[in-house]
Amino acid sequence: VFSGEWSAEGNFVSHAAISAPVNRKLEPLGPHFLAHARRKRHQRTFSEDDRI
Amino acid sequence: MSDTQEVESGVVIGIAFGNTTSSIAYTSADGKPELIANEEGDRQIPSVLSYLDSDEFHGGEAKAQLVRNHGNTVAYFRDFLGKKFSEIDPTNAHNSAHPIDAEGKVSFSVVEKAGKPAVNITVEEITARHLRRLVSSAADFLGKPVTKAIVTVPTDFTEAQRAALTSAALDANIQILQVIQEPVAEALAYAARDNFQTADKVILVADIGGTRTDATVVAVRGGMYTILATAHDYELGGVRLDATLVDHFAKEFIKKHKSDPRENQRSLAKLKLECEVVKRTLSIATSASIGIDSLCDGYDFHSTINRFRYETIGRPLFDQIIKLAENVVSKAEIDLLDIDEVILAGGSSHTPKIAQRFESLFPNCTIHAPATETTALNPSELAARGAAIQASLVSEFDVEDIDQSTHPMVTVAPHLSKDIGVVIVAADGTETFQTLLPAQTAMPARRAAEFNAPAEGGDVVIKFVEGGSVIKKEIIPPAPKDEDDSDDEEDEPEEVKSKEMKVEKLLAEALLKGTEKGQKIEVTVQALEAGELNVTARIVGTQNGVRGQVKA
Repeated sequence: VFSGEWSAEGNFVSHAAISAPVNRKLEPLGPHFLAHARRKRHQRTFSEDDRI
Repeated sequence: MSDTQEVESGVVIGIAFGNTTSSIAYTSADGKPELIANEEGDRQIPSVLSYLDSDEFHGGEAKAQLVRNHGNTVAYFRDFLGKKFSEIDPTNAHNSAHPIDAEGKVSFSVVEKAGKPAVNITVEEITARHLRRLVSSAADFLGKPVTKAIVTVPTDFTEAQRAALTSAALDANIQILQVIQEPVAEALAYAARDNFQTADKVILVADIGGTRTDATVVAVRGGMYTILATAHDYELGGVRLDATLVDHFAKEFIKKHKSDPRENQRSLAKLKLECEVVKRTLSIATSASIGIDSLCDGYDFHSTINRFRYETIGRPLFDQIIKLAENVVSKAEIDLLDIDEVILAGGSSHTPKIAQRFESLFPNCTIHAPATETTALNPSELAARGAAIQASLVSEFDVEDIDQSTHPMVTVAPHLSKDIGVVIVAADGTETFQTLLPAQTAMPARRAAEFNAPAEGGDVVIKFVEGGSVIKKEIIPPAPKDEDDSDDEEDEPEEVKSKEMKVEKLLAEALLKGTEKGQKIEVTVQALEAGELNVTARIVGTQNGVRGQVKA
């Protein structure tokens, strides 16, 4: 049980953003990369991609 | 129908192009990558071309000519490709045709036609001829013309070298669809065996080849590969191991016959070829014999060596390989404990001692090598297998498709710098921490996990946190000696390291009300490219859930 008072709306509180990501290069091979490339080129999200 | 024709023209093979040997592979109808043997029956085809009496010899036949026709035999040329003469290290070519400087470009002077003067052949042309022979072996085996290929090269191959390779291949009528990195191809060979499971892990790939050794740390996240660090040693490999055997047997020969076979070019070439055979035998058997007729000054030479002796004389080299592995891990700014798997690739990885040394450096890892894993794939075949797998995946793609997919716009992605996970606080205050998205995961990415609801039910707080692993060092003092312990072995205090997850930052909290005993909680996190984090928590099988977003 949450110990303190829980007053935030929708039972969700956001405290801090994630640490700055680092840009790195993915290796363009394997089935999962090809799926990633397809999503990125068609600007689809995961769920849109699942539906197709 | 043009359908069948399209399939016919679409045969794409994988080529592992090495300094010492090259391999060709295809993917069979049931989806398994398989190596293709050339006309001589070799799956590891020596990267050697030789010219004698107007004939061109290739592979094993050409390699055999290093003894009597070394001036017309071109070997170890891959690393010269696309480089200026001033940039190359010609050491390995010392016993074959020497690279020469033709207006800054690397060439070889060989007698191509009997009775004619020697001609200069550029390294690009040599490469084209080598590729043509490889591809024709593949076409003969497959019974179909082969015009397209995926080729593996080391990670330090420059853009100029890749371009030189592609244009050399075009001269040989082969279109290279993609030039891929050896260590990732090798990792892909194992991933394909395990049905491309998407477990997140960090792999160390040690490619111990003939003339060089490359070590690479690769992060695998959701089935995608990111190289974290690479290290190379251009003097470490099978050729050096052969040289230790050459020295060993040469000393024995000198004792008997008072002449040094290393001082005579032909004797040395014979001894080198035979020592390579001995080395291969010692990877399978515990002793090997060598026999060379008329090695030097007309004397025959016969001897044997056992594996233990070989491991003793090869030890400095094994130490160097381990050192390289340690270096690349520290270059990746991680601990040895962060490595989950080790893949040993390259011909020299058949050496049992090398695999054992890796096993003691990484005691908790699977070491993929024949000596440490009975189901291991052949280390010599990994790069070609990986190339064949990629070839089968892209065989239906257009060239523009592949070019667009490999464009930096697609390949450069933001990677998480910290682990993102959840801490679930149950009613009794117990906390369970689980990483969902580990550091080095490329965004966008999404992961889900299930947890058990607390036994007594009630409200559950789910904390979304950021953290990382910390290495804990513990010094265990030496155990007190038995009183009658007479051996004077030094008991040093043993340092035991262990890994722990540490929460560094609280990102968000969610309250899930009214769980009941036996129910499951499903938590999903999705990191978006812009750095936002979408989270949901839901009681499985109900509409009861919370969703929220952490802004970038």
